[in-house]
Amino acid sequence: MIAALPRLHAVTDDRVVGEARVVERAAAMAAAAGPLLAVHLRARTLPGGAFLSLARDLASALAPHGSWLVVNDRADVARAARARAIVSGRGGLSVEDVRRVAPGVPVGRSVHEPAEISAAHAEGADFLVAGAVYATPSHPAEPPRGLEVVRRAAATSLPVIAIGGLTPSRAREVVEAGAWGVAAIRALWDAADPAAAAGAFLAALPARADIGVVINGESRRARAGISLLDLLADLDLDARAVVVEHNRRIVRREALGTTPVAEGDVLELVHFVGGG
Amino acid sequence: MTTTAAAAPAFTDTPLVIGGRTFRSRLMVGTGKYKDNATMVGAIEASGAEIVTVAVRRVSLDRTKEEGVLYHLDPSRFFLLANTAGCYTAEDAMRYARLAREAGFNEFIKLEVIGDQQTLLPDTTGLLEATKQLAREGFQVMAYTNEDLITALRLEDAGAAAVMPLASPIGSGLGLLNPYHVRIIKSRLKVPVIVDAGVGTASDACLTLEQGVDGILMNTAIADAQDPIAMAHAMRLATESGRAAYLAGRMPKREIAVPSSPSKGMLG
Repeated sequence: MIAALPRLHAVTDDRVVGEARVVERAAAMAAAAGPLLAVHLRARTLPGGAFLSLARDLASALAPHGSWLVVNDRADVARAARARAIVSGRGGLSVEDVRRVAPGVPVGRSVHEPAEISAAHAEGADFLVAGAVYATPSHPAEPPRGLEVVRRAAATSLPVIAIGGLTPSRAREVVEAGAWGVAAIRALWDAADPAAAAGAFLAALPARADIGVVINGESRRARAGISLLDLLADLDLDARAVVVEHNRRIVRREALGTTPVAEGDVLELVHFVGGG
Repeated sequence: MTTTAAAAPAFTDTPLVIGGRTFRSRLMVGTGKYKDNATMVGAIEASGAEIVTVAVRRVSLDRTKEEGVLYHLDPSRFFLLANTAGCYTAEDAMRYARLAREAGFNEFIKLEVIGDQQTLLPDTTGLLEATKQLAREGFQVMAYTNEDLITALRLEDAGAAAVMPLASPIGSGLGLLNPYHVRIIKSRLKVPVIVDAGVGTASDACLTLEQGVDGILMNTAIADAQDPIAMAHAMRLATESGRAAYLAGRMPKREIAVPSSPSKGMLG
């Protein structure tokens, strides 16, 4: 379940993490982007203790702005630092194993090719980080996959974050290809003013015409701005035969038409079946 | 010599009243486990039951099948009693109960809080807690419980509209294992006592009603019979028969024979 997954993802790597001002820069972006920002802590060379210490510093810097800390691969660190999500990379722990270490934390998988997309979907990932969309100096050996990787990932109906060579001017086309949000390393961390760079990304992100909701445990896309009654109609369900629980609160049938569906909503749609 | 079969029952019974509602049949049936919907509907018709139980589950989003029971069962002809089957905590059971009530049929809930996966025996602590809270919220709680007098008394105190001791574990078909305790419960409670779960065949139903309880609820004994519709008919007769025998008042059991024919007038 994803409650309002941020749309802008500032991803670190060993180089960014090695710089002294990473927490300060993260805080500046958080002040500009608030809950729309997630900072991904990804560092392959840091030993556990230093990794956790940095994760905690980032978490405290982000929390006041409602921004997310997302820890990559280290589910143990994510749990200890109370990260909002975990991304498991290529060759990393399965979604099930991540959940074993850090129950209740949303799990994303980074995906590059169709087989990985299907595998991540089948594993029950909560979102996908798909790339590399464009050529990127961060992974010179990784061939760019183009918008196709975004389209394929979005076909799972899971929220997709596009990564790889993203700039504000490219944000529109990846969202039009089905991405929920964008991730960047250099375009954010290397900017002279990271807060301004984050603002430029957000300004360039077109509003999505659909929203992510969880219906009966499945991640689904729904049209933005609709009511629960519209949603039932879109699902071809008879409102008279279904009872709706909306974010754990039962919605009376008369109120379905006036209750809006919002990003991250969790819905249970139940009816009577045979029973003893 | 000619004989005339008596058509009308030779006994008069008081109606079954639960939570202020009057019911004509003392047999209640489930709607689960049938091999197809036509058999389910046929069996319910043959049982003569008025109260039928249903479960609350997620709708299927892919719409490959119409699995809702109301597509097959006319809710204006039957009294739908929703259950909380499959719930293992008081909180879960209350969530299901509230969802069921929102379906808009009635305030009745067959409350199950299961404590063990293998035996499906009730968690009586959770059951009491949920009964108390749901009764406070205006539910008519029919509480599925053990054949234990103390729990039954506490459920009544907690506001249960009916107490439903088991004959034996759900779906086991073992029959009425503890007629003595069921009889004790019936003798001590003011609210109706409905035996729920565990009967296997018609004699089990008959024996159960002979204990004086107010009704019986079953699902598997009918649905898993070779011919569910025929078994539903048998269960109807057995329920009526057991009730009639109870009202008639059985003769005392003796350990010695007493001749039925006069000993006087034998040939010298």
